[in-house]
Amino acid sequence: MLAAMLSAATLQVGESGVVKDVGGTDATALRLLEMGLVEGTVVTLLKRAPTGDPLQFRVRGFHLSLRSAEAGRIELAGSGE
Amino acid sequence: MNIAVAGNPNVGKTSLFNVLTGSRHSVGNYPGMTVERRDGVLASRWGGAERKFVDLPGTYSLSAVSEDEAVAFRCLRGIDASPPDAVLLVLDGTNLARNLYFALQVLELELPTVVALNMVDAARDAGIGIDASALEDALGVRVVETNGRTGDGVEALIKAFDDVRAAPAREYVEEHEPEVRPALAKLEDAGTSRAQARWLLCCQAADTVGLTGATADQRAALAEVGRDTCWTVARRLVSARYRAVDSILATLGVGDRIHDAPAMKTSERVDAVLTHPVLGLLGFVATMALVFVSIYWWADPLVGLIEDGFGALSEAIASALGPGLLTDLITEGLIAGVGNVLVFVPQIAMLFLFLGLLEDSGYLARAAFLLDKLMSNLGLHGRAFIPLLSGYACAIPAIMGTRTISSWKDRVVTMLMIPYMSCSARLPIYALVIGALFVSTPEEAVISPAVDRGLLLLSMYLLSTVSALAVGYLYKRTILASPTPPLVLELPPYRIPRIANTLAVVWDKTLAFIKGAGTVILAFTIVLWAFLSFPREDTGAGGDGPTRIEASYGGRVAKSLEPMVEPIGQDWRVGIGILGSFAAREVLVSTLGLAYGMEADDDDPVQLREAMRTDVDEAGKPVHTKLSGLALMVFFVYACQCMSTVAVVKRETRGWKWPLFMLVSMTVIAYVAALIVFQGGRLLGYG
Repeated sequence: MLAAMLSAATLQVGESGVVKDVGGTDATALRLLEMGLVEGTVVTLLKRAPTGDPLQFRVRGFHLSLRSAEAGRIELAGSGE
Repeated sequence: MNIAVAGNPNVGKTSLFNVLTGSRHSVGNYPGMTVERRDGVLASRWGGAERKFVDLPGTYSLSAVSEDEAVAFRCLRGIDASPPDAVLLVLDGTNLARNLYFALQVLELELPTVVALNMVDAARDAGIGIDASALEDALGVRVVETNGRTGDGVEALIKAFDDVRAAPAREYVEEHEPEVRPALAKLEDAGTSRAQARWLLCCQAADTVGLTGATADQRAALAEVGRDTCWTVARRLVSARYRAVDSILATLGVGDRIHDAPAMKTSERVDAVLTHPVLGLLGFVATMALVFVSIYWWADPLVGLIEDGFGALSEAIASALGPGLLTDLITEGLIAGVGNVLVFVPQIAMLFLFLGLLEDSGYLARAAFLLDKLMSNLGLHGRAFIPLLSGYACAIPAIMGTRTISSWKDRVVTMLMIPYMSCSARLPIYALVIGALFVSTPEEAVISPAVDRGLLLLSMYLLSTVSALAVGYLYKRTILASPTPPLVLELPPYRIPRIANTLAVVWDKTLAFIKGAGTVILAFTIVLWAFLSFPREDTGAGGDGPTRIEASYGGRVAKSLEPMVEPIGQDWRVGIGILGSFAAREVLVSTLGLAYGMEADDDDPVQLREAMRTDVDEAGKPVHTKLSGLALMVFFVYACQCMSTVAVVKRETRGWKWPLFMLVSMTVIAYVAALIVFQGGRLLGYG
């Protein structure tokens, strides 16, 4: 791997990606998976809060807010429209 | 028939529960949990008593990440009591791509289930409407279209329970993979059902087995499986369910469209303003200002009305019974105590009315989104901001409002921070001290008397805010240390709140306060009254003799404790005031009035200010100086002079540990801070 891992936190506003996996083995990882961030799900970064964090995503037909720290655990298979 | 009502948050579950039960519900707690439990009986207009409902907490999953999910699963599975006879599963028709995940988890329990497909009209408007019968075929249980707002479909929903059936057992192909099957088998062999085996493995993966009530055998089996394997199973299971969800959506013909969130388009336009970097923050400030101004405008006259009403009642009883001990007990103990409880009702009701409307509209989630950065720096969740802010109005509803914080430790941290916020009851004290001792003549003013006084008042509020944040920062890293909770926050669609639902919540909260904290407040008031009234020596009216309050046990204690308050620049009169104001801070003003020998009915603030300003000791030096006044105000910034706060914290934490900690720590901090101000000021040559 040459580039840094593509994650939901590296998306630009308006950009989408496809989830590959969620990193970590804790309750938060399970919660993220159960909110629908499973392999193959499309996530779109809609906006950032005024202070830059947290982030607002569109996932599986609803809007989800995560901090960069959590979003960084969502590994993406590729990005682009 | 006992029916559990299950569903995601923000799907109209509580709305439907209220329609089903009318006002016939009661609020309690799940045994050993802080999670609220709502029980109700089918309203008579729908046929009445035969059916009982329990409203489970709204959760995104049944896997126990917090107490909410643990309670939901344990209740459905019948781990602590007998399982429900049937389940009412409420799904949001506009949000099936996520709602169906939870639906599958519930159906896996193989309990007789009826699905209420809610908000299906909104889904149709967004072009993702589906037929109830198509979903019925896909899930294998009865599906009824409902509208919790209008009550449409409720009759059909109740009828559906006549021939309610369970979903057919569902197996996922992934469960037959080499790592997954043996792990499940290990638990199933020990007699655990498949649904529970899946659940326990996921909870073990999340490291929350402590919440599951697992038996020793089950724990042993989980330990044997190991956490790594549990994680493999959890990942496979979650993906398997979502694959099943996607195939259901495909058969329903909405698979592709639903992911673009067409039902969120209007909310996106609203968010363009309400979470805009500039407009959003301005909007938040304006919203909060509106809430607090409204509380002052609307609750204050009501508080005045309650006080006047109880005053009139006291007078009526006093004139009917004539003077005497019984009269005093009834008027100054009992009626004053009930009054002390009820004066909080307008503020509690107003705050919960506004917070309820903001929550139901979807705005509170946006507020948490806007302010999360600030709170995460402290180590708290964005949701902690609102109860903290509410503390400026009154700590009582604010502390009750911490229930929205899911982490217990963070909730206690927030509860401990709230009493530092300068509540409205401190204002009369600041006003008295500033009015009596500061900037009495225009020549003294740096800018102008009004501005100087305003700035002094503002600095007290600043001190209190900074102190609240500081103790939060400290506690979060010491006695209540825990990692910053992650933010996994749904921003639900904006909806017009239903006032009837909000009023039901307001009613529940107010009743809970009166029942839970009211008795303690009443008892405290009577004890305090006795303390400041006995022994009853007739000192004769007026003259130079000691006032009645001075001769009381409380007065004697205050006099003997004078050496304690002297170092912070106060005399025994303020000592009595501090004792008396433990009932409620603003009582300081009337207690001080009594100590200066004024009759209770002419506690004219101007007269009291004058008395304090001109009071001199034996050497002819003024008793109250600017420095001692400042020390007194600083004392009240920190002191937990409010038994109602103590009573509410006792109720919310269900024990005396935290309220006593709060009381003692705040009193110590208040004393030390006042000491530093007074002695430091003297060293610097002031006063």
